[in-house]
Amino acid sequence: MKSKIIFSLLAALPFVIGGCATNAHYVETGGRENVVSVNQINIQDYIQAANAAVNDLLASGALDRVATPPAVLAISRIVNNTGQQIDTDLLVKKIRVAVLNSGKAQTTTTMGLGGTAEDPMAKGLQQENEFKSDQKATRTPDFTLSGKIIETTARAGSTRQSTYSFQLSLTDSKTGLAVWEGEKEITKQGTRPSVGF
Amino acid sequence: MKTRILLPLAGIGLLALTGCTTVNTVENADKQGQRQMITDQRAITDASLGRKVSIVGVNQSMTPGGLLKVQVELENRTRSLQRFNYRFEWFDANGMQVTTVASALLPDQIEGKESKFIFGVAPNPNCKDFRVKFIEAQ
Repeated sequence: MKSKIIFSLLAALPFVIGGCATNAHYVETGGRENVVSVNQINIQDYIQAANAAVNDLLASGALDRVATPPAVLAISRIVNNTGQQIDTDLLVKKIRVAVLNSGKAQTTTTMGLGGTAEDPMAKGLQQENEFKSDQKATRTPDFTLSGKIIETTARAGSTRQSTYSFQLSLTDSKTGLAVWEGEKEITKQGTRPSVGF
Repeated sequence: MKTRILLPLAGIGLLALTGCTTVNTVENADKQGQRQMITDQRAITDASLGRKVSIVGVNQSMTPGGLLKVQVELENRTRSLQRFNYRFEWFDANGMQVTTVASALLPDQIEGKESKFIFGVAPNPNCKDFRVKFIEAQ
């Protein structure tokens, strides 16, 4: 009799613990519950790198040294030197949003590497307006933002380590000199992916 | 007798495994810089973290572009490495929170008995107040 009761209780235990819910749930992006993988760049790494870059860039006052503020920024090449296929906008967009919201700089979407505009429609309309008014409306960017993401790996026994270096340079378009440079290194170590930091 | 010997050895072994490494420092005695310390208001809900990683003081300055820059000095009161997360929150003149990438949750660590600084820069010149949150790492 006793064993029957215990058996029934044990059988009911997984349902009590697990409930009827699925394990899918929302977590805060970049929060403590995010998955941490050693061998790839996680979303919280991009957030950390962008946070460090924005803090450092705004504190430097480099964007304030223009004749007519806010400064105009053009995005140049961000080289991916990691073994992964990544979208560098995961880093760059966060920086762009932060500098725009700071009121220190605006990013052009009609100028890009190799003459490719990020927003072709805006470029077309801008050219049309310039043609109609016979006046050049385009403001030459004061600065360009370029950079590189580098991956360095190491292994000792079953422990794996990856370092991701996020390097950024802000170049004065008139002089061609880097007026601000920032680097954020993120090192992760472990044997398998885990949740949280 | 055997247990008397084994017990201290086990204790030493445990200490060696947990890695009680503390930090020695040296700095200039006659300071040239003057930190503009501010009075702070604290809310400690995690006493365990508060005991381990304590807030020594907060100082602030302005960046060349007129942004508020805040620096918090922390001290690890334990003899072992402590991991924690922190987040800067920024508020405008009306007390409304300004959320940007500058409000991200950031992981950090501090060696035993070490004193270190963390800093944040306001996301725009309208930010007048701040709050820093500390959460113990998992």
